[in-house]
Amino acid sequence: MVVTRVEVTPKQGEGMRDVRGDSVRRQLLSDHDINASDVRSIVGFLIQSEISGEEIAQRADDLFTDPIIEIGSTNQLAISNSEIFTETPDCVITIGFKPGVTDNPGKAALDGFQTIFPQATNAEISTYITYAFYGLPSDCDSQWLAGTIHNGLIQRAIISDSNACQNGQWAEIEFPQRPPQVFTTPDNINLEISDEALEELSYKGLLALNLEEMQTIQGHYRDETTRNLRAAAGISPDAPTDVELECLAQTWSEHCKHKIFASKIHHIDTETGEDSIIDSIFKTHIMNPTHDMQGEVDWLLSVFHDNSGVIAWDDEWSICMKAETHNSPSALDPYGGAMTGIVGVNRDILGTGLGARPIANTDVFCFGPPNWEGDLPDNLFHPSRVLRGVHAGVRVGGNESGIPTVNGAIVFDDRYIGKPLVYCGTIGIMPRRLADGRESHIKTPEAGDIVYMVGGRVGYDGIHGATFSSLELTEESPSSAVQIGDPITQKKMVDMILEARDTGLITCITDNGAGGLSSSIGEMAEYTNGCEIDLAKVPLKQAGLSAWEILVSESQERMTVAVKAEDCAAFDALAALHEVEATAVATFTSTGYFHVKYEDMTVAYLPIEFLHDGVPQLQLESEWKTPQIKPFAPPTQSDHNDLLLRMLARPNITSKETWVRQYDHEVIAQTVVKPFVGVERDGPGDAGLIAPIHGNPHGIVVSCGIAPRYSDIDAGAMAAAAIDEAVRNAVCVGVDVDKIAGLDNFCWPDPIESVKTPDGKFKLAQLVRANRELERVCRAYRLPCVSGKDSMKNDYGSGEGKISIPPTLLFSLFGDQPDVRFTATSDLKGAGERLYLVGSSKQELGASEIAYMLSESGEAEGIGGEVPQLANPESQLNTYRALSKTIQSGLVRTAHDCSEGGIAVAVAEMCIGGRCGANIDLDGTGSGDVWGRMWGESLGRIVVGVSAGNEADFVEAMAGHSITLLGISTVGDTLIVSDGYDELVELDVDSLVTAWQGTLDLTGGVA
Amino acid sequence: MVDMPKVAVLFGFGINCDHETKAVFDLVGGQATRVHVNHFINGNRSLEEFQILAVPGGFSFGDHLGSGRLLGNRMRFALREQLHAFVAAGKPIIGICNGFQVLVKTGLLPGPAAGEDILPDFVQRASLTLNDSGRYEDRWVTLEFDSNSPCIWTKGITRIDCPVRHGEGKFVLPSTTDFDMLAANNQLTVRYVDPATEKGKGITDELLPFPLSPNGSMRNIAGVCDATGLVFGLMPHPEAIYAKWLHPDHTRNTAPGPELTDALGEWEGEGLQIFRNAVDYAKANL
Repeated sequence: MVVTRVEVTPKQGEGMRDVRGDSVRRQLLSDHDINASDVRSIVGFLIQSEISGEEIAQRADDLFTDPIIEIGSTNQLAISNSEIFTETPDCVITIGFKPGVTDNPGKAALDGFQTIFPQATNAEISTYITYAFYGLPSDCDSQWLAGTIHNGLIQRAIISDSNACQNGQWAEIEFPQRPPQVFTTPDNINLEISDEALEELSYKGLLALNLEEMQTIQGHYRDETTRNLRAAAGISPDAPTDVELECLAQTWSEHCKHKIFASKIHHIDTETGEDSIIDSIFKTHIMNPTHDMQGEVDWLLSVFHDNSGVIAWDDEWSICMKAETHNSPSALDPYGGAMTGIVGVNRDILGTGLGARPIANTDVFCFGPPNWEGDLPDNLFHPSRVLRGVHAGVRVGGNESGIPTVNGAIVFDDRYIGKPLVYCGTIGIMPRRLADGRESHIKTPEAGDIVYMVGGRVGYDGIHGATFSSLELTEESPSSAVQIGDPITQKKMVDMILEARDTGLITCITDNGAGGLSSSIGEMAEYTNGCEIDLAKVPLKQAGLSAWEILVSESQERMTVAVKAEDCAAFDALAALHEVEATAVATFTSTGYFHVKYEDMTVAYLPIEFLHDGVPQLQLESEWKTPQIKPFAPPTQSDHNDLLLRMLARPNITSKETWVRQYDHEVIAQTVVKPFVGVERDGPGDAGLIAPIHGNPHGIVVSCGIAPRYSDIDAGAMAAAAIDEAVRNAVCVGVDVDKIAGLDNFCWPDPIESVKTPDGKFKLAQLVRANRELERVCRAYRLPCVSGKDSMKNDYGSGEGKISIPPTLLFSLFGDQPDVRFTATSDLKGAGERLYLVGSSKQELGASEIAYMLSESGEAEGIGGEVPQLANPESQLNTYRALSKTIQSGLVRTAHDCSEGGIAVAVAEMCIGGRCGANIDLDGTGSGDVWGRMWGESLGRIVVGVSAGNEADFVEAMAGHSITLLGISTVGDTLIVSDGYDELVELDVDSLVTAWQGTLDLTGGVA
Repeated sequence: MVDMPKVAVLFGFGINCDHETKAVFDLVGGQATRVHVNHFINGNRSLEEFQILAVPGGFSFGDHLGSGRLLGNRMRFALREQLHAFVAAGKPIIGICNGFQVLVKTGLLPGPAAGEDILPDFVQRASLTLNDSGRYEDRWVTLEFDSNSPCIWTKGITRIDCPVRHGEGKFVLPSTTDFDMLAANNQLTVRYVDPATEKGKGITDELLPFPLSPNGSMRNIAGVCDATGLVFGLMPHPEAIYAKWLHPDHTRNTAPGPELTDALGEWEGEGLQIFRNAVDYAKANL
């Protein structure tokens, strides 16, 4: 084997430029105010193979170099060629991957290499990129510079500093050889130890199990019958193997078992005197309401038990949706963590029923402020870097998978510096019935079916993700929990699996996510009550992984698929056609046991019942006391023109177009309402609307709601606001409110009282209140939650420096839209539209964006007071139904949700989208003072525009509901807001556009 | 004469616009099938069965080593004879977005200069490289077509709006002479134009600013055809505006499109005509 180096750099000259280098230059300018005169880039390939350097050099133009636009060199550093790099750079930095980290360009290059050299079966290719910096300020430290453009957790940086550059001493990056892994025979773990030692064992082994759980496991191995059965099976009778202990830790992790939502809670409300027991928040407040609704409608096909919730959409198709979070991995490696988040939730859709096709993504992020200038705890990235990395990961993951990103949000708060929240959602579609007559939302496995692992291989990457995410983030968080996704491997797998589904080859399918094979096969084995796995058959990225590592590794891009024995040949052939690796690794049985072997040796023998239902129920304490927060008192004198421009520039309100436009939101040719709408396609879209069956205008609405800061006053109000916002957004595009389904994704700080979390009782009470409101509002809206997820350890550090996120519920909604030809967007449609406020404003400024802005600037004190409440959701639903019908009938083409920043911001955004002025009067729009009516965020409000010709019909259709004439869109380009005789705002639309678009550009200018 | 021309729509390896590309051919009277690239490479199926070939958009092999390169190589090495025979038989080929990149990297576009042997010789003469902005973007652009182009796909079309969705769409040729030769033969089929210009008079060689030209393409080129006029590729996505409800202006009631058609009545979008042209051509000539 020899290693050959090929380097490629863009040609310079008329019309040609080095775009990669220039992007880095502009990023330095935008993020660090460093104005380098030039940055040039070189892409490198290290090819380890039996092919000689000469042979590779002869074919370099066929593969590595595009001779029209690039110059290549083989076994010579491009930077050392003074004909290409005529000037001496100030600094040269080369960035490559650490051993074992997924290298997607390397993988693709290898595929291309083997097209040209088919004999090179053992070849490996590693890629890197070199940047040469020119015109740096003299005080720019090269180590610091390298730190800004690579992540030491997964990448290596090799630096030639200014001295080295002057002397032509170029540092060379070498092939990242992986250290050999040594297979270790499974160990038996002695659990006959003290309680302290049990806790120590759990802590040191990253098992994330508490003492009671460890004792339950200990008890299992003390049972006489268990011991006899184990002896008969040829495995240590009285102690778990390491494989078993790891398997239990994964399966029983908070991540997989949702132990807090399943716990028995003793809840005290110090104000009402309530003292009660809640036996599982999940069952009480989420599952029961949905099951009650399932009795009333015929379209709820599959709820809670599968990888996503499924509803019937029409006679031929059903649709499903799932949202996940990937917070901890995204904190450590924003790019890789977020990418695995999006491609991971895509697999949840693929693993629903007998396989659904992902057709749309949603992304909601919560970050620290991008312009943060305060201190950062060790091991945490600056929020702007987290934003860039997460965005890039989701962009690459979604775009390369060919799934449009149709909806999302970005929310900012200081506390997300400790843990960013990265919510990724996916909608899927599947035929109601397959050609063989089976309903595709029902899995049909039987004992004897062969279980395949399909897609990627298992590696050392991704060990302990599930248990790790069940712990708080610390400086020592492990790098093995971080991975980079490989969307193309997954795309090939998706193509193959959907073809296998349509030919009737699949009896059962699930995703390999948290907990790896132990979870995926373990969960599927519940259907037939048993399975037998041979871990030695599992294809590995690198030889030498031990049995427990193979079982729990969360290496990406893998599905577990069951196939009837007689269909295996057809399944194998399909895999070969698609160039997808599919390996039979297990068989379903009905023995009642999760039986794991490594060749002939039994390495785990766990009763299915104990594995899945053995975890003891947590007993938790909850105590509510209303937090004392200084009420928001608006200043007595204010320039509302100035306030509006500043509000439009707030990170939570400003346009996110630079970022969102980098997502493909239109692949599949179905997106009707896009993320940005209006004359210049830069006004905000309220909800995504897609028509996925080509030629048919039947639509699906996708929307979301999130209001984390309301938790500062009451987490219950936070939950109600999130749900109402999701519904409002959907109504704005004409959803059928009688066919909507929701997803609840809770992200909470640790709510279990302990030394680390002295305020655990309060945080748990917040969770109780949020769920009680969730039940109340969802029942009133007849909005079943069909799937959800929780992430309960969103804290950084402990003690004084501990940062806990604000309790955050993301509520996602998907629903039916009868005909996309009749929908609405937020942009004003030209002069003369009558603007109506649907709903009314109350004096609810607590935790509002205006309160935060003015208290941060010192112009007002406090953010407390009345937080928006949903007093009467039943009548609210009737209003939404009436309004949605006016959109579906074509009466209304303009509608915009009213949320952060109230009516002032909503109407300003409508003017921006329409490049059109408006004249509105807030008099009579509600019960509050001018601050409440202008900036308040009362729920249930939508601003609607209706043409003069349709006005009478609209007013008639809305009879009995609260609507108020706000004003009219005007010929000029001026927004005028008055309150009776008082003029509050007079601004031209251009100034609104400028204010709204500047904050989050962060591009360093367009080249 | 064929009644319903058979259309092979390639998929696999990261191609991802295969479903909608199949759909648009079906809407205009074609009979389209999604066929995995390997079926042609392995010999399970033959291109000969089909009258039209479409290489849809996507991210084949993740765009690593340059967009379209790796899929282009597979086709260049394994399907050389079949592709040559396809064009020689007078059958149309379209490449959209990543498909255009594939056709450029295989050398099918712009192909040999107009002259004696204009059939494919699989020599790469042009390239598509990173957008000047350095960003992948999804945004709507306005396109205008050379009415004198030999391209069979674009007959009778003057101007359409459609989205671009790419990070590597800047069309590059090594020299201005190359541009002049293609221009002389009207092979610079479609360009980005300023929507404020008069319809039919938008085409200019002067570089338009971002975002009118989304990528800094030389001479604002959005797509080219070969000298036969049969092979056509473009970066923007005409299939993504097959219906008016996909146009960003549709809630403003100003989405452009034909008045009434067989396919979708008054709701047909501007992009569908490109596919109808090829289907009609195949019906008349094959």
